[in-house]
Amino acid sequence: MPVVKLYKDRLVKLVGGKKSVVLQRLPYIGLDIEGEESDSIRVEYSPNRPDFSTDYGIARALKGILEVEVGLPRYEAPRSGIAVTVDRRLAQVRPFIACAAAKGLRLDDETIRQLLSMQEDLHNGLGRRRRVAAIGLHDLDAVVPPVHYEGVPPSFSFAPLGGKNPMPIAEILERTETGRRYGSILPDPHVYPILRDSKKMVLSFPPIINGNETKVSTSTKNLFIDVTSTDKRVGAEILAIIATTLADAGASLQTVEIKYVSSSEATPDLSPSSMPLDLPLIRSVTGLDLSESEIKSCLRRSRLEPSGTTVTFPRYRIDLLHPVDLAEETALGYGIDKIKPVYPASDRPGEFSRQGKRLEKIADLMASSGMVEVISYELVDESSFYKKFERSAEEKVEVRDPRSIDHSVLRDSLLPSLLSILSRNIKEEYPQRIFEVGRVYHRVGKKVEERWSLAAMIAHSQASFSEAKMYMESFFRTLANLEVVTSPSIHWSFSDGRCASVEASGHGVGHVGEVKPSVTVAFGLGVPLAGFELDLSSLLP
Amino acid sequence: MATAALHPIEVRVLGALKNAGWVAFDSLQSGGLLPDQVRRSIEWLSSKGFIEVEQTSVAKLVLLLPTAPELLLLRRLKETGRPVPLGDLRKDFKSQDEFSAALGRARESAWIKVESSAIGSFVSILDAEGAANLERLLTHLARGIEEDALPAELRPLLPDLIKRGIVQKTEEKSTRVRITKDGLAALEATEGGRVERLTPELLATGRWRGKELRPIDVRAPAPRFYPGRRHPVKEFIEEVKEAYISMGFTEIEGAAIQPALWNFDALFTPQDHPGRELQDTFYLMLMEDDSIEREGVVDRIASTHEDGWKTGSRGWQYRWSTEEARRLVLRTHNTVLTVKALESAKEDLRVFALGKVYRNESLDYKHLAEFHQMDGAIMGDGLNTRHLMGFLTAFYRKLGMSEVKLWPSYFPYTEPSLQVVGYSDLAKDWIELGGSGVFRPEVTWPLGVKKPVLAWGLGIERLILLRLGLDDLRVLYDNDLGWLRRRATTNIAGSETLQR
Repeated sequence: MPVVKLYKDRLVKLVGGKKSVVLQRLPYIGLDIEGEESDSIRVEYSPNRPDFSTDYGIARALKGILEVEVGLPRYEAPRSGIAVTVDRRLAQVRPFIACAAAKGLRLDDETIRQLLSMQEDLHNGLGRRRRVAAIGLHDLDAVVPPVHYEGVPPSFSFAPLGGKNPMPIAEILERTETGRRYGSILPDPHVYPILRDSKKMVLSFPPIINGNETKVSTSTKNLFIDVTSTDKRVGAEILAIIATTLADAGASLQTVEIKYVSSSEATPDLSPSSMPLDLPLIRSVTGLDLSESEIKSCLRRSRLEPSGTTVTFPRYRIDLLHPVDLAEETALGYGIDKIKPVYPASDRPGEFSRQGKRLEKIADLMASSGMVEVISYELVDESSFYKKFERSAEEKVEVRDPRSIDHSVLRDSLLPSLLSILSRNIKEEYPQRIFEVGRVYHRVGKKVEERWSLAAMIAHSQASFSEAKMYMESFFRTLANLEVVTSPSIHWSFSDGRCASVEASGHGVGHVGEVKPSVTVAFGLGVPLAGFELDLSSLLP
Repeated sequence: MATAALHPIEVRVLGALKNAGWVAFDSLQSGGLLPDQVRRSIEWLSSKGFIEVEQTSVAKLVLLLPTAPELLLLRRLKETGRPVPLGDLRKDFKSQDEFSAALGRARESAWIKVESSAIGSFVSILDAEGAANLERLLTHLARGIEEDALPAELRPLLPDLIKRGIVQKTEEKSTRVRITKDGLAALEATEGGRVERLTPELLATGRWRGKELRPIDVRAPAPRFYPGRRHPVKEFIEEVKEAYISMGFTEIEGAAIQPALWNFDALFTPQDHPGRELQDTFYLMLMEDDSIEREGVVDRIASTHEDGWKTGSRGWQYRWSTEEARRLVLRTHNTVLTVKALESAKEDLRVFALGKVYRNESLDYKHLAEFHQMDGAIMGDGLNTRHLMGFLTAFYRKLGMSEVKLWPSYFPYTEPSLQVVGYSDLAKDWIELGGSGVFRPEVTWPLGVKKPVLAWGLGIERLILLRLGLDDLRVLYDNDLGWLRRRATTNIAGSETLQR
């Protein structure tokens, strides 16, 4: 979840109100306090509220909750007269662009930091790591309109941000950090998107890097914003979030004319949206018995504008999809902390699942026979599961791109995990007797079958087949008065001649044996081991 | 007083002392007892007043020469029976000094006389019995007599012999013991009515009657034993299940491997949602659920994503992909099981699913790739946010949280979405517990559910750490046998005995 750093004094000034009250309300608009210092506070916000990516957006919401300013925030944007033409060659590359002009700003270091942090969060969130949308902020005074959004070949050169000398695009993609990280987003190796002005000066090479000439600094007064995207709606939403933030930072917004081949539009589009006000739905979801006017004033505190049977909401509220979303807005406007809990009584008895109950009984039984229960991971490393036993890994079930190779394969047996646990406990007193009841995964054709397994392992200087068999047989007798049959068998864990298959009521249910010395040594163990593994899923249909 | 316990070794020592008067400590060791055992039982017996112990000091006299030179001289004269020339006598001695000394002593004692004549000096006997006392003394000494036992008349002779180096006197310390009346009584009591252990034979024959079991040292250490035990995580899971069941919930379960359709799409999580990416979710290699087709409930879910279907939502406004929904994942939460239960629900529901969930994480003290969640849902007419709060408050009170608060939060599948934090009396702090909310119409309608559904996804491991006073999640699954064997059960079972 994204995090934004707020300077307390600055935030309080933006909101207007008492410091203690302002800071105390942060959790009630959905912000999680991550950390606090004497002058600042770091809060985590939900990705569905990208308008919370700066202190301006947060202040806007707090003003509503604290009734400093309620209802819909209004934004005006007259025409700037600036036009952006869109090249048809970009239709298959990155077809959409939305721009805005923001004039009369006074940027200090903290405002610039807030804007860059917002840009970063929008890139990663709504922009899906720049794949769907990318943002460029420019010094408008360095730009000579009209601006052209064009497709260029990889040989095209310009000086990227932070560099003085022109560089071909192909080289920017290889040499710069952002080039390497985001280059793969661009689908066509022959056509690259470039934004440049009437003097051929490059504003940006989206979604990779800006040009150097339009760099923003604290002396910048007027901004030009571009948002290129593969999804027009997302691009427009991102621009609306940025534009309203800049307006709150003191800018006068102006629209830019985007000229596609066969259509044109003015951006940003800051016109509010609306949805029906469903009072019964709000009452039934929140459980709050509120009158129409109470609900409406709650919604105004959430910076929405109810009127009649509809609610108007600002363009940056991209999280409002369904009339039910107004329930949460009402609850927030009402104050989540004021809602009184009611216990939902039930007159029906609850119950354990049959399988859960049985597995529990089985583990109790094993513990009562003197064994210590362990819990190991289901995702394991291939080496301890296959190489140490010299068995084929053909049937293994793998996961994609695990962060650690220790969790790359789904286990098909509990025995290797038990051996691995014993190997980590060689300093602990012997005898050691451990067991696990856990899930294992078997590949069956193109499918994976999940089964419950019970395995036990005994380690001490006298550990033997006979002791393992004794525990195994007593398990069956205690569980179900069942006599099992053991017959000579082979198994990848157990020594030939000291290994038996176990049959219960005529069905093979597992193996018991003495662990192969080669395996014992491979796990770094120095005492004889004996154990068994039983397929509980076949025992408990 | 005399009924104190007697150890078998003590019994043997007392036995050896019975009717024996003073007995030297050294001689007690002969009966197969080790010196240490004897020494220890002597101490115990003495402290109980069953024996007397005396430290004695004995003077030992050792004869260093076979006899005294003057006796040798006298013996020769007696054997010859007449005066012997001085020169002949000299030959019997090793040195002139020794001869001179012998001659001098004998003359001083008036046992002999020396007479000179023209043909030389002759030695003859004056008093044949004069050396009798010295002879007797030397005989006693040759037999190893102690000084105290010497006849009084012989004693005055001793200092001269010692001075001349014929006899050596040494002091030897020794311990001797003697049984007391109490000791005798205790011995008799033990021999008559005590047994070391009860045997089947004593029981069968009835001979146990009249016998007492030898009291043992109840302070002595007993051997260490480790009973079989359940894992603390499983013990806590049972407690959670019982809390749920006592509140009328039914346990449900299901597979760990789930198609993305149920893990994500059914929960209105758009297909390009960051949470669905490889770096957060485990996808199975080269496998998919190809039984999923865009029809029935799948089509309703797909349409809801695309444009809201009939739910009244605007949807996520993208082209939904069947391929993406077919991908198999290791479930990232157990809400996948509660949502599946909704799909097949015939009547109002109160269910919970408790089991492992899987996230593609690097392990550290606060992240695991496999951990447990206790997710649940209630479906029924009239349920609302206040009931959700009421349930969570009551549930966590059962698990030791005195207060529960709900903060606004966000999940794609709930409205409102509320984060659950609880006040832990153990940690004296607010703890994040999980997420909750009311399922959105975009979730319930495609499943054919029109009633409100309250749902939550809650963690378990952090609560266990709190109970155990630990702060590293990895410790729970280290399977350190020392910990599993020796941890106190009360730590997981209750808060009173928490050890930090």
